[in-house]
Amino acid sequence: MGETITFWVLAVVSVAAALGLVLSRKAVYCALMLGVVMGSLAVLYAVQEAPFLAAVQIIVYTGAVMMLFLFVLMLVGVDSTDSLVETIKGQRFWAIVAGLGFAALLALAIGNVAFVRPTGLGGATSQYGGNVQGLAQLIFTRHVFAFEVASALLITAALAAMVLAHRERAKAKPTQKDLARARFAGPHPTPLPGPGVYARHNANDMPALLPDGTVSELSVNRIIARHDVQEGRLPEDPRLAEAIRQAVEVEEESK
Amino acid sequence: MNAIRVLAAPEPALPNVQSFGHDPLWITIIKAVAIFVFLLLSVMYGVWMERKLISRMQHRYGPNRAGKFGLLQSIADALKMGFKEDLYPSKVDRFLYAIAPVILVVPAFMAFSVIPFGPTVSMFGEQTPLQLTDLPIAVLFVLAMASIGVYGIVLAGWSSRSPYAVLGGLRSSAQVVSYEIAMGLSFVGVFLFAGTLSTSEIVAKQASGGTWEVLGLSIPMPSWYVVMLIPSFLIYAITMLGETNRVPFDLPEGEGELVGGYQTEYSSSLKFALIQMGEYVNVFVVSAVSITLFFGGWRAPWPISLWEGANVGYWPLLWFFIKLVLVFGGFIWVRASMPRIRYDQLMAFGWKVLIPLNLAWIMLVATVRAFRIEGADRTALFTIAALVVVGCLVLFFRFDTVLQRRRETRAEELKQEFELLEEQPAAGGHPVPPLDLPHYHGADRKEISSGIH
Amino acid sequence: MELYVPILVLAVLAAGFAIFSLTIAPFTGPKRWNRAKLDAYECGIEPTPQPVGGGRFPLKYMITAMLFIVFDIEIIFLYPWAVAFDALGVFGLIEMLLFIVTVLVAYAYVWRRKGLDWD
Repeated sequence: MGETITFWVLAVVSVAAALGLVLSRKAVYCALMLGVVMGSLAVLYAVQEAPFLAAVQIIVYTGAVMMLFLFVLMLVGVDSTDSLVETIKGQRFWAIVAGLGFAALLALAIGNVAFVRPTGLGGATSQYGGNVQGLAQLIFTRHVFAFEVASALLITAALAAMVLAHRERAKAKPTQKDLARARFAGPHPTPLPGPGVYARHNANDMPALLPDGTVSELSVNRIIARHDVQEGRLPEDPRLAEAIRQAVEVEEESK
Repeated sequence: MNAIRVLAAPEPALPNVQSFGHDPLWITIIKAVAIFVFLLLSVMYGVWMERKLISRMQHRYGPNRAGKFGLLQSIADALKMGFKEDLYPSKVDRFLYAIAPVILVVPAFMAFSVIPFGPTVSMFGEQTPLQLTDLPIAVLFVLAMASIGVYGIVLAGWSSRSPYAVLGGLRSSAQVVSYEIAMGLSFVGVFLFAGTLSTSEIVAKQASGGTWEVLGLSIPMPSWYVVMLIPSFLIYAITMLGETNRVPFDLPEGEGELVGGYQTEYSSSLKFALIQMGEYVNVFVVSAVSITLFFGGWRAPWPISLWEGANVGYWPLLWFFIKLVLVFGGFIWVRASMPRIRYDQLMAFGWKVLIPLNLAWIMLVATVRAFRIEGADRTALFTIAALVVVGCLVLFFRFDTVLQRRRETRAEELKQEFELLEEQPAAGGHPVPPLDLPHYHGADRKEISSGIH
Repeated sequence: MELYVPILVLAVLAAGFAIFSLTIAPFTGPKRWNRAKLDAYECGIEPTPQPVGGGRFPLKYMITAMLFIVFDIEIIFLYPWAVAFDALGVFGLIEMLLFIVTVLVAYAYVWRRKGLDWD
């Protein structure tokens, strides 16, 4: 009874989440929908008397979905939506092949259940004294080869992570000492002037005024200045606007 | 040597996984509500205790206006947060921004459902264990809930659309994920000893440590796993600080660099209160897990356990509560005495120290445990043990020599640099006045007094 | 199945409490609109219109996440092994030693390539 209710509730939730995963335009929402699907599967496993599998599903897939999430943040950006251009050649063909293969697998599994009388998970594991113990007996005796091969697979995954995402430094990272030395050797040993007491605005996107009333270009924050110029949000005072424009030009020349 | 054996079989009243799932629904609801209210009060008075204790450690009084000893301070704070404006900043992703505190709080509460508070008691005429429920994989359930809780933090950061919040969320995800591995590994030692993942059975296994008969003497073994598995416990204690983002690992909300981290945009109102509550409940969860796995759960500590009624009836609730207060006090003590560590140090510590140490320790424990198995091949075992020990030593000495060499080259470089600077003071880049300036007399001349003093 | 009902009860309580406080918060508090108050907090400067670098974040976090999965799966294998250790015996010990050493190869490689350094 409880199992039936759980199944029907979760069936709706997980199918809806799966549809959302495919149809949602925001990449982060897609990743989260995947998390919901995986969570529903975990609850279904738990209800089917496979508690270990359920816990593993949550523990591993939350990590995996988190990775997807980060992947989105890194490759697409915080706020962007999917583009619908297909970049992989023959993607549709292979997707159809994979779908057919999965359908065949599903048909075989269902056929197996329909024609062979199932023992039930509880019955199968009771001879070992519990779900976890039964799983251990199978993994570490009958499927020992697969288990050892899994470790090789893990090596591959770690290698892939390094190849895809790691960039080794060409030269050592400058230490605090190096930075201090470079600063003293350069033209500005002191910090650059801030907005200071002569600023006429309380935000630090305004250049500072020196004691003689001239504008200090050094005090302009380069990043804010770039945004100001790009979006045309320059201050009304022509001298301040000029200083900001100058700062951006200097920045671009130095690149 | 192989005569370590469990002396007394567990008392018949001790619950195990089979004792759960028989409660009528109303008992379940009573227990769930009790845990819920207990956690709400714990959060309130946990905050009060933290503020009070850390104040005394810093020679202050802490809250002392609202109620006697400031006991009503948390209630006042909660009321204040309820009556503040409920802000939705203009750029946030409204749905996720609202739902993130819920995702943070709910799994934290759920994790408490497998924590054992006591043995089987009679509650309104029903025999029931003082634990909401138990699973064959209860400890994994706690881990799973912890990993769902991280989503609350990451989503809170992402949905805020503020650089500080996004950075805080990402930092915390990387940190929690790194320390979760070390945490998971430190459980393995306990599972090796207990042979089960269910919390009630792990507590039952810590009822007595058995005796070790060596040379005709029988030495009673300590029953709490904290004694036998002290490295596992120490690593767990470190990771529980890292998992809950507490000082010295509170980088996700390091106010010096990230303002408020992932909760920057949750400036007031009940959403902020929920986030705070989630954090405190998480602290209580990891504390309760440490008590369950390493400190004998609800069982009375040694001098009290000599009294026969110590582990019967509702008394264990008191022992559990005292242990929880002590572990939480440890969190506060650490907060009062440790500075926040740097982010690269945090990650390096998690990945390069805790994980390899933990793996080596697990292999050592497993090898020693294997000697206990009846009919085990002794020669094979001795070979494995020798291999493990030699492997660890080789790795250790390899590290030691590499580090030693690195230290020597570093010292050599420093020495050369000092020599260079002595010859040419300006070589370091710092503006140093030349030593032969006319007003500079050098260190060897006696200073001439102005005669005024 | 019966083991999970209490968890559901506690979850409903906690979720009910959380959602209740979310829904009443707008009604208990005052409402005073102010544009600056609703901006993202950036220490008093005008909020940057778009996060630096188009909102992308360094790949550093990616390696950590992937390595986490590798080690997570290793730990998942360790749990049933630890629980059934006495039944598996010396053979299980050797198997696990082999497995850990193999995973440590990857670990050593990543360490050597400075994948574990965070700078």
